[in-house]
Amino acid sequence: MLTPRISGLVATAVLAAVAITPAALAQQPGLTADTIKIGTFGALTGPGYLYGKLVMNGVEVVFDEINAAGGINGRKLQLIREDDRCDAAAAIGAIQKLVHQDQVFALIGGGCSNATFAARDAIEAAKIPTLIFASVHDGITTPPAANIFSTALTSSIESQAQLAFAMQQNAKRIAVISMRDAWGRARYAPLMAAFKANGITPVADEELSPDANDATAQVLRLKAANADAVLMVLYPKPAAVFIRDAQKLGFKPLNVGQTGIADPSAFEEQVGVPGATASFRTISMVKYTPDDPAVDKWRRLVEAKFPGDRLSVFNQFGIGSAQVLVEALKRAGPEPTREKVIDALAGIRDFKTDVYPGPITCSETDHRCHKTPAWLAKDPGGPIRVLAVTPVER
Amino acid sequence: MLLLSYLVMSGVTTGALYALIALGIVVVNKATGIINFAQGEFFMFSGFVAWMLHVQMGVNYPLTFLLAAVVGFGLGCLTDRIAFRPIAKTDVVSLVLATVGIAFMLKGLARVIWGGKADYLSFPPITSTDPMMIGNVMVIPQQLAVLAGTVAIVVIFTAFFRLTRAGKMMQATADNARAATLVGIRTDRIYTLAFGTGAAIAAAAAVLTAPLTLLYPDIGFAFFVKGFAAAVLGGLMSLPGAVLGGLIVGVVESLAGGYIHSSVMEVSPFVVIMIVLVLRPTGLLSFNKIRRV
Repeated sequence: MLTPRISGLVATAVLAAVAITPAALAQQPGLTADTIKIGTFGALTGPGYLYGKLVMNGVEVVFDEINAAGGINGRKLQLIREDDRCDAAAAIGAIQKLVHQDQVFALIGGGCSNATFAARDAIEAAKIPTLIFASVHDGITTPPAANIFSTALTSSIESQAQLAFAMQQNAKRIAVISMRDAWGRARYAPLMAAFKANGITPVADEELSPDANDATAQVLRLKAANADAVLMVLYPKPAAVFIRDAQKLGFKPLNVGQTGIADPSAFEEQVGVPGATASFRTISMVKYTPDDPAVDKWRRLVEAKFPGDRLSVFNQFGIGSAQVLVEALKRAGPEPTREKVIDALAGIRDFKTDVYPGPITCSETDHRCHKTPAWLAKDPGGPIRVLAVTPVER
Repeated sequence: MLLLSYLVMSGVTTGALYALIALGIVVVNKATGIINFAQGEFFMFSGFVAWMLHVQMGVNYPLTFLLAAVVGFGLGCLTDRIAFRPIAKTDVVSLVLATVGIAFMLKGLARVIWGGKADYLSFPPITSTDPMMIGNVMVIPQQLAVLAGTVAIVVIFTAFFRLTRAGKMMQATADNARAATLVGIRTDRIYTLAFGTGAAIAAAAAVLTAPLTLLYPDIGFAFFVKGFAAAVLGGLMSLPGAVLGGLIVGVVESLAGGYIHSSVMEVSPFVVIMIVLVLRPTGLLSFNKIRRV
């Protein structure tokens, strides 16, 4: 006869056995015996497609590689895309569709910051493991939502890195030119905090509209302030206008960009004035330029799967992020649940990917997992070079 | 003094572009009595067409200019046929909303056609990119091209309205559409011509501006807002007023940015407009009397 204690243990064992049966697994949305449905959202159309569609293409080649090797514990990864058009309402709609209609198991996505930030509540409410691949808004990961992690640099990390880089380059008179829309403010505020933390006051603090077609006034004011470095919190369009006018007026400081201007080649073309971008430096989330032999494998895979595409830094955002998600799915074991994947993401430490400049580290309290911006430069007409890596908050 | 020269020069260049947008708004308003909210999108769409012709197809710049103006004209005529003529007898609000609808359609179409090419499209410079000195002021030759182009367009359209039969018929229709109909003017054709002409001016502005800026599907609205402000400042019915308004808006924002702070650039022209409209509600160069009812 079983004692009450032994009976209790047996009952617990039976319950545990039932809990991990295929029937129980079937209750995990998006999970079957042979597939894991992963949802992705971002701009598939419109100017934000760089941070959406191209990044998703990077995710997909990683998934293809995993699937070709047998999947994760025998399950193939299936990617379902939703277009948020960089629009807040569309992003919320995309999340609702992926979670409730497509019933995906996990999410990897987020291109435009404002759209992703708007969707944060919907993602958090769904309690679905989510990895952000490109959106940089601090509010997406701070304060941390239990289920949302990011492999994108966040705006506060980038702002700190911009100032740190200028100081490393021995700039003594550092100025700021910024957009003050929602995107700009998300970077401007932490940038000013970084100045304060370093005991520095910018020698000039100018504003430029996202739609500006002339920056003569701003250039003249920065020149009058004798700035030797200008931290640019600008989209490529106003940044190109600023650089052109700076060249016109003979103002040649160190121009320090951020991931809003992530492609120095495209930026050089947009500026369109030979030599004007010679002193322009910008942040990259990834370590390698698209033509670096280190990413040959990924170039082949991307260009084979998406004829007409050239491997870009945006593809690499997706590649790195997908490798982190795959790792978390593996760590969740053969009977994964959403909770196990969230725990696995929170437990990732010093994980090396094929593309990021430094290892990825998440924690229970800090879901900003990427803190190693790389600095890019492009000599006029020459190739893009990776100058340095600036670890922040490590 | 040097600072002032630089700021005035850049303000005049930017203002010339606002003036062109304002001209298109005024041309349509004079003939039809409505504000065409799609004027900025005509500008944007024609700019993309010009980019396609010049950059993708290798068409030379003068021919690109001409073809873009033709496409713009066609776009304007089409707008008249699908969004104005069928509802011409309804109230003004419906007519204005129809142009808003056209604006959204054109923006969406541009996203579909050109949205996947890059985030911002650059148009190669048509002049040397090396600055040149005029007196003590350094200017980019493209700025001079914009100014020259604007002057040429203003002269051409002034001559058109003053000297041609079509131009005079447009003036007559604007003054009194019913009377114009009674004397045999086909006012429906005049409306088509007005929309076409307004859009062609926007296209010309886009081709002139493209090398100075970058093209993206949302570029039209920002230009429309400034152009509309310039048109209001000039009096909404006056072609010289539109030009003057554009130049004032451009110069005021440049001077405010240089002498006060760059954060007041965007708002400064609107402050000036408010002051002008309080003192002179019909605008600077409109001499219509306000009737109290």
